[in-house]
Formats: sequence, C-alpha cells, structure tokens
Amino acid sequence: MKVVLYDLSPEYGALIESKCDRALAADGKYAPCQGCFGCWTKHPAECFLKDKLKQVCRLIGRADELVIVTKNLYGTYSAAVKNILDRSIATSTPFSTYRGRQMHHTLRYGKHDLWKVVVYGEASEAEKATFRCMAERNAVNDGYERSEVIFLKDLAELEAAL
Amino acid sequence: MKTVLINCSPKKRFCASAYFLFLQSLFVGGEKVNENLRTPADHARILEKLRDAQTVVFGLPLYVDGVPSHVLRFLEEMETFCRENGLKPRVYCIANNGFIEGYQNEPLMQVFENFCVRAELAWGGGVGIGGGVMLNVTRILFAVEILLLVLNTVLSAAHTGDFFPKETWLSFAENTGLLLYFNLGVLFYLSGMGRAIGKGTAFGKKYTRILIPSFVFILFADVFFTIISLLQGGVFRGWLARKE
Repeated sequence: MKVVLYDLSPEYGALIESKCDRALAADGKYAPCQGCFGCWTKHPAECFLKDKLKQVCRLIGRADELVIVTKNLYGTYSAAVKNILDRSIATSTPFSTYRGRQMHHTLRYGKHDLWKVVVYGEASEAEKATFRCMAERNAVNDGYERSEVIFLKDLAELEAAL
Repeated sequence: MKTVLINCSPKKRFCASAYFLFLQSLFVGGEKVNENLRTPADHARILEKLRDAQTVVFGLPLYVDGVPSHVLRFLEEMETFCRENGLKPRVYCIANNGFIEGYQNEPLMQVFENFCVRAELAWGGGVGIGGGVMLNVTRILFAVEILLLVLNTVLSAAHTGDFFPKETWLSFAENTGLLLYFNLGVLFYLSGMGRAIGKGTAFGKKYTRILIPSFVFILFADVFFTIISLLQGGVFRGWLARKE
C-alpha cells in the first residue's frame, strides 16, 4: 500500500489522492504527542487523544511505501507533518532490538519498502544534508529497506516526484 | 549574564529533560530562569524572557529521530521574534533519547544548528544523551537510598545507640557510587558545556549515554515496559498485535 502524508493546501488533494492508495492531509487540526507511551503500554496502537490521529499508526504501519510531502523547516519536516509522525510511534512495539547495529524498537507491522520524502521550499545545502540524514535514520528506525529524498525546485514537479 | 533554560518535554511530571536541565544549571553561573514549553500558550511568556537573555538552553526529548512538533512551532516563532527585536542569544541544546546510543540525537542537533543559521543566532552546541529515561530513574533510586540510610540509621541509634552503622553507610556509599557512575558521562559533558556557557563560547556537539553495556540496557528496558504494560493493561489488549 502506498500512503502519502502532505502539508500542501487542499487544492493539491486530488492530484495526491490519484497517485496513492491512501492520503493524509497534515492540516494541523490535531494535538501534539504527549509522550505518555500509552499507545504502547495502555491501549496498543491507539492514542488517548481523541482526534483524527487517534489510530494513525494503523494506517502508516500498513504502508509498503510512505511518501511524505513537506515544506522545508530547518532541514526537517514541517511542524504539521512532524506532528503526525510523532503520533505514530505505535507502528513499533515497546520491545527493543538491534537494527543497523543500533538499538531500535521491534516492528508491529513488519518491514516496509520505501521511505520517500519530497521537500518543497528553499533549502540550504546544510538543510538538505540534514534531511537526507533524517530520512535515513527514520527508515532504519521504522524498518524501511530504503530511503529517498527529493528536493523540488517548484511545486510543478510534484506529480513526477510522487 | 542571564540564561533561560527551557524544558521542552510535554510531560508535566518526572521528565528526563527536566533532570538534565537541573544538572546543567549546577554548572551555570549568573541569573537562571527555568521555563516549560508544552503548548502554544507558553510561547509569548517564554519569548518575553529572551529579551535580556544572553543564553538559551533547550532541554528536549528525541521524537522520531528529530525535534518534537510542538518545539518546531516554537522555533518558528522564536526566529521571527528574535529578528524583529534584534535579539542574539546563544543557543545550546540538551537532547535525550530512550535508546542507549547518544549519537542517535545527531539529526536533532543538526536541526538546531540550521535553525540558528536561519535565525542568525550563535549556535553554542549541545549534548546528546542516550538512555535518558533510565538516567532519570537514577534520581529516584538516589532518593530511595537516602531514605533507607536515614531509616536504618534511626533504627540503629534507637536499638544500639550507634549513629554510624558501618554496613548501612558502606551500602549507601556503594549504591550511590554506582548511580553516580551511570551519570558520569552526562556530568562530564554538562560541566564542559556549563563552562562554555559561562564564557559564551561554542561547545560543539557531544554524545554520551548511561554507562552500562547495551545488552543489559535492552534487558532492563524490556522488563520496564513489560511491567508498565501489565500495570496499565496493554498486555491484555493485543499488546504486540497488528491492529487493523
């Protein structure tokens, strides 16, 4: 399954939905993660916050290919997109293991294929390097075989990047 | 010199970020102001405190290999605020994560560095800490050790008149020495960063961890989450299942 998270305005919704199985708009109409680990230890794969991200990990966890369309913010995802990722940690379990010679959590939904990040907005070389580092780390952490980061010069390139 | 220490953990109680900021404050002189950043309602209050500050120290947990979303929102506002008011505080960062490797905080550090470039602020550097949650537990264990010491000393004094029971004090010294050892890497780097803050110089990015072997750490972490999951009931609600 191909899942796309995006923080673009609703006018891009139709294009994005035509290019994937499920699309999730990062519209900011949800609360940030409270760091309680309840989605691991109390109600597995479910957040106690009652908004549209309550069970978001169940959607992201089933993605073979996850595409994140985000505006550049200091070399990382926009706050609205990062909010969704922060709320989806129950794609893994509380148990620990080694992956890539580092400690990580075991995967609730098994391995995935591609973690792709499509970045728009001006980005410096340092910010691009941070984005590549971040995507690589996210891929290892969430059990993706590979990662890819694409920097758009213009949003007209979005369709080809998806 | 005024230093604003911002605890960015969303948790209200018993957060590792608060513990590390407390340790950092022991090595920083001058005026110190402690702030908590949890919601957008905190932004204006904290930004006002930056007006006459020379230094800002962010203490935060690592979320999904990066900066938590509520902190990103604050950084965007801080960039605008500092530009509009011509403020130039030097920025330092103490990041902690639940994994044992401190260097897993590297992307977070880079984001703070990039933020400083965008906001035209001086990047002072930071300390990335692995095993933050477990290090935070050591402060509870330290309090328990003191309690046991006092209790045993009182009992000994009441029964034998001995105010310094040798075994009790030796046990206290041994156990607190062990707890201190676990924290040595953190204390070493935070003291160094404290000196850099005092001089207003760059410290660079340093990574450290709780000083125990990785496989022991994982064992303790798994036991910890198993107990918590039993107490909170997650074990009985499809704990590790693929939820549809």
